[in-house]
Amino acid sequence: MNRLLIDGVGKVFNGDNTREVTALKDVQLSAGSGEFICIIGPTGCGKTTLLRLIAGLESPTSGTIRLDDQPIDGLNKSCTLVFQQFSLFPWLSVLGNIAFALDSKGVPKKEQKREALDLLRLVGLADAAGSKPHELSGGMQQRVSIARALAYDPEILLMDEPFGALDERTRQKLQDVLLDLWRKKRKTILFVTHNIDEAIYLADRIIIMAIEPGRIVNNLSVDLPRPRRRLSAEFTELHVRIRDLLEIPE
Amino acid sequence: MRRGGGASRLNRFITHLQGFLLPLLFLVVWEVWAVHLDNPALVPRVEAVLNVLLHPFSELIGTGTLAWNTGVSLFRVLFGFSIAVVLCVPMGLVMGTSRVFFRLVNPLVELFRPLCPIAWIPFAMAFFGVLSVPQLFGVRYSDTILDSVQVGMVFIIFWGGLFPILLNTIYGVTGVRTLWIETAQILGASRRRIFRRVIIPAALPAIMTGLRVGLGISWMVIIAAEMLPGSDSGIGYLIMYSYELAEMNILVACMVMIGLMGLLLNRGLLFITARVSGWQSLER
Ligand SMILES: Nc1ncnc2c1ncn2[C@@H]1O[C@H](COP(=O)(O)OP(=O)(O)OP(=O)(O)O)[C@@H](O)[C@H]1O
Ligand SMILES: [Mg+2]
Repeated sequence: MNRLLIDGVGKVFNGDNTREVTALKDVQLSAGSGEFICIIGPTGCGKTTLLRLIAGLESPTSGTIRLDDQPIDGLNKSCTLVFQQFSLFPWLSVLGNIAFALDSKGVPKKEQKREALDLLRLVGLADAAGSKPHELSGGMQQRVSIARALAYDPEILLMDEPFGALDERTRQKLQDVLLDLWRKKRKTILFVTHNIDEAIYLADRIIIMAIEPGRIVNNLSVDLPRPRRRLSAEFTELHVRIRDLLEIPE
Repeated sequence: MRRGGGASRLNRFITHLQGFLLPLLFLVVWEVWAVHLDNPALVPRVEAVLNVLLHPFSELIGTGTLAWNTGVSLFRVLFGFSIAVVLCVPMGLVMGTSRVFFRLVNPLVELFRPLCPIAWIPFAMAFFGVLSVPQLFGVRYSDTILDSVQVGMVFIIFWGGLFPILLNTIYGVTGVRTLWIETAQILGASRRRIFRRVIIPAALPAIMTGLRVGLGISWMVIIAAEMLPGSDSGIGYLIMYSYELAEMNILVACMVMIGLMGLLLNRGLLFITARVSGWQSLER
């Protein structure tokens, strides 16, 4: 079943004093329940814009976005977005930031601390619970944002380059954490990345986008069995194919 | 790490000393000047001023003690200022969030803003006379410090705090990062919760700046108001009265006191600011 259906969606920005930008043109995309989709494409091709449209933070200039056959009107309550920028509330501690999301779900105050600590342990930051965001490194802040999104526990998880600031080892560890969660809770995940291997390792399907105008140019199913081996021949073969599609020179 | 502890303590001592150097020089020059002039009705000796400051509880020229008059001024300011905070912060929050309300009220704000609060003093005197706050509520004498708080003074202190508080609050609310509001939205926060848990804490540093500026202005305005005829207590009154009696040492002691109290009020609010919105100064 298609949970999310993006039908002929376009987005044009007319800044007051800038030229008109066609951030997205005629985007066609569907996501089934429990599907893991990675989006990859050159900078400025509209990946963030696409996620913002799905989240309901922005409305499309043409086309429709439907969730379970209902058009999205205003904020999309069944999803959350992990922003590309640092988005922790600086006046709250790490624990407070996660509790903010738990509050929305109606988790009682008494249980919030325990749940928050469980999530922090998941992203490897249990020790940082009492810290303020400014005391954390960029990668640590990013991990807290991920834990916060997981605390909100939405049906659809939109993630905008969530592992961008992490080293390879931590990145791989968190990929496994995410896959584990996804398998257990059957979430629908749309995951933007610039890292081809990351996309292949995670995704059921990889969406490849191109720029000017921002559009989808390819839609690849990844049929490798899980858990995937990053150095296998099929993996590498797919990597090369995606490099070609993205027109990255050797 | 303890290596050179002695040297660093010496360094710290010297650093502290630097701050005292110019004030000390100032006192020495003053003293030399006072001795040279030998006219206490014009330039009092440092000791004479210190003598007044060091005995704040002794009766002065029949107007009560220095401590009492300082206390009355402080109480008046805190009274009027509290009213300004209680009214202007919520008003600023609403003006910052509601465009309709902003368009409705802003012309009035722009109209009154350039009006110096001191210009209100004669108006307030004409309008309220020497009516005290308890009298406003039908109590002739409450036998508390409130008897020394005149409605007219509260009124002008309020005007002194009004615009700094209001404008900084509006500025704080409209300057809240969109990213924070969107983050709260995608984490399922209701409008009410966004207002209480995102907009208010995010605007708090600017609000606190408004309070500090407002309190500073209120403190200046009250001194001016107390200097006018009809006033019977307060540090501004004490200054004027000691001027009339040519008691320059009391006059200068009052000036020192005004400076000290202004400093104290500012420091007090800075302390609270660090408590409630310390995150801002630490953000990278
Ligand atoms: N609010 C906006 N106003 C005007 N133009 C915008 C706005 N948001 C995005 N754009 C434009 O839309 C295009 C797509 O932006 P978007 O942020 O979606 O790119 P992206 O694919 O996420 O890039 P990156 O990989 O660098 O994050 C860009 O040309 C950008 O300048
Ligand atoms: Mg982006």
